[in-house]
Amino acid sequence: MINFTHFPVIAVMGLFLCAFLVEIFGAKNKYIRNTIALVAAFGAFALIAALIKPVFVDGNVISYWMGNWTPVGGYAIGIGYEIDALNLFFALLVVTTVLLSGIYSVKYMERDHHLGHYYTLYLMLSGSVLGLVLTGDIFNMFVMIEIMTFASVALTAFRNNKLGALEGAFKYLIIGSVGSSLTLSGIALLYAQCHTLNMSQLSAALATGLSPTTILAFALMFAGFGVKSYIVPFHAPAADAYMAAPTSVSMLFSGMVNKAGVYGMIRLTYVIFRAMDLSSVQLLLVTLGTVTMFIGVTMALAQHNFKRLLAFHSISQIGYVITAIGLGTALGLSSGIFHAMNHTLFKGLLFLTAGAVLYATGTCDLDRLGGLSKRMPKTTICFLIGAFSISGLPPFNGFASKWMIYQSTFAKATETGNFGYAFATIVALVVSVMTLASFIKVTQAVFFGQLPENLKEVREVPLLMRIPMWIMSALCILSGVFYNFVAKYLLTPATNAAFNVTNYIDKMMGEGYAAANGITETAIGFSPLDLWNPVLWLILFAIVLISVCIVILTGEKERGRTLVKTDADPEDGKYATFFGGEASTHSHVGGSDLFWGFKHDFKGYFKFIQGMHSGVVNDYALWVVVATALITVFMFIFVR
Amino acid sequence: MITVNYIVSVFLIVLGLYTVCTKKNLIKIVLGLGIIDYGVNLLIVSIGWNDGGTAPIFTVTDLLNGVSSKFFVDPVPQALTLTSIVIGACVTAMALSLVIMVYRKYKTLNADEVRRLRG
Repeated sequence: MINFTHFPVIAVMGLFLCAFLVEIFGAKNKYIRNTIALVAAFGAFALIAALIKPVFVDGNVISYWMGNWTPVGGYAIGIGYEIDALNLFFALLVVTTVLLSGIYSVKYMERDHHLGHYYTLYLMLSGSVLGLVLTGDIFNMFVMIEIMTFASVALTAFRNNKLGALEGAFKYLIIGSVGSSLTLSGIALLYAQCHTLNMSQLSAALATGLSPTTILAFALMFAGFGVKSYIVPFHAPAADAYMAAPTSVSMLFSGMVNKAGVYGMIRLTYVIFRAMDLSSVQLLLVTLGTVTMFIGVTMALAQHNFKRLLAFHSISQIGYVITAIGLGTALGLSSGIFHAMNHTLFKGLLFLTAGAVLYATGTCDLDRLGGLSKRMPKTTICFLIGAFSISGLPPFNGFASKWMIYQSTFAKATETGNFGYAFATIVALVVSVMTLASFIKVTQAVFFGQLPENLKEVREVPLLMRIPMWIMSALCILSGVFYNFVAKYLLTPATNAAFNVTNYIDKMMGEGYAAANGITETAIGFSPLDLWNPVLWLILFAIVLISVCIVILTGEKERGRTLVKTDADPEDGKYATFFGGEASTHSHVGGSDLFWGFKHDFKGYFKFIQGMHSGVVNDYALWVVVATALITVFMFIFVR
Repeated sequence: MITVNYIVSVFLIVLGLYTVCTKKNLIKIVLGLGIIDYGVNLLIVSIGWNDGGTAPIFTVTDLLNGVSSKFFVDPVPQALTLTSIVIGACVTAMALSLVIMVYRKYKTLNADEVRRLRG
């Protein structure tokens, strides 16, 4: 019998230790450097993967007290690590992303200088995010958040000769620090009320009800984790950072850094405050999530840079996750974490293909790319798999999780009779369509269309960069096809862990502690995923058919109008919704601007929303402050 | 009086947020972050304070007699504050180094002109 207790802490400390070993031994020699980094990443992966059996299959909760400072007299003073199915789920996402990004970095980063620093920061970032999801101590979580912010900022500015790298890093640091300060003041207020920093003990202490102080703490920490997961009023620096950072780091950002924020949000609302049975908190999360997915995708439609476009899609997909976990139902939470997992896979894959394009061509500007499918066929296939997944086409994983999200929001609407949740379903569907549209645009602009003269000599990227892409692609397809296995072995235990905190508390504080504080086991049951129900498919096809008909009909009308107009007429169908273009000269619309007409139709909205993202750091800080104030006021009025 | 501490700490946090939101000079924005940190630190230290309490240091005799009768200041928030001060210093150092590099590249410290990433 292996003692699993020490595994999580060894994984975290191994990453931190290797971060310094890389700097000491690997600053000159690239083989030593790569070996240390990959050994650390693989070691963390193996240690966390070894926990799958005891936690997911046997249903244990693993705890570890630093320096063996176990609780005395019902008070936890020491720092504890506690791993239940919920944080192991996120830890698995983290270690997978770290490992694949590490393999990818070997070739992708080889043309840069000072790679010793790069790997130090990379391992620091990995270790801090892993520590953040594994820890059971809320102040330790704050420290990990801060290390994460520093490492992210430094990595964003790593290629500091690139456009906007320094600027993006600075904005990220300012907004991130404001968010961390909010979290810290929340933690301080919580400590003032409960006299503990341990999450299990906090959960037990807060079971008796909320006082004004704890409500303020809740609001501040909610906003703090909102900043870390980049939901909408807090999202602006994320787009800059994802764009400016090296692609292997962008993958880390969207694969695990914002998942860490999502994890914090789940831990905060479900476990510590156990507030998800309050309809006001549900409403807040669902509203924020819905707004996030809509604004994210509309901003993505307006982008001309491959990585910035992916960054806004990242924000939009986090909106789905937040909406789903905000429902407060078992189906909702499991669909939310399923989508979080799928987002890690497909967005990681898309960032890797963007990196491959950048590596091969030296640009990410959609206006200067095109026709790469001939030159880079393998990358194209990987990109298409990622694009199909994110757009939610069956049988890829994005479809399974999005379908679950539609189901859960709709079920919530029928359950509560609140039309707002059905509205969330509709927005989710519309956003999914817009995501597809946006990826059609990217596919056209980068991989199909015409090959520019200067890209004729482009070659496929090295094998070492393709291996992570293939692994990601395979995972995208596997988790989409075998969604039942995922739901059974990963989602159900994790969801149960979030809803039944009794185990979590008892393992940490001693048997019977939860019951003594009035927390009882609530059996949850959910039957997710009626995916292959023919009636649902029929409805889907009917919707698709109707929308295609509408498109054809409107397009037909506008095309007809184009024919009768003269060249001189300004209203010559140039801006027709789906078939727009320069009719008089029959010139092609640029691949990066396929939805020119669409954007023209909604130019008021696009102008407004692009103007809002002004790039001035004060404005972004103002959004954070105003949003925090509004969240605080909302909580004081509605949370009881 | 301990209430003063809370009022001042909230005032400092709000002042810092105001600075970050309104000042256009990048160095002043970094100073604003520092002020927020000081406010939060003051808040944490004040939480641990017990009026008339002793330092939480006990001799063997005290421990044998049972320390629960002693009234002392909570040491945990002080440890938290130390950590937070260190982190705050790191934030300031890192932000200022970024400001230096931004200034070299953009030749300005005005936040309104450091906005190549927008839209």
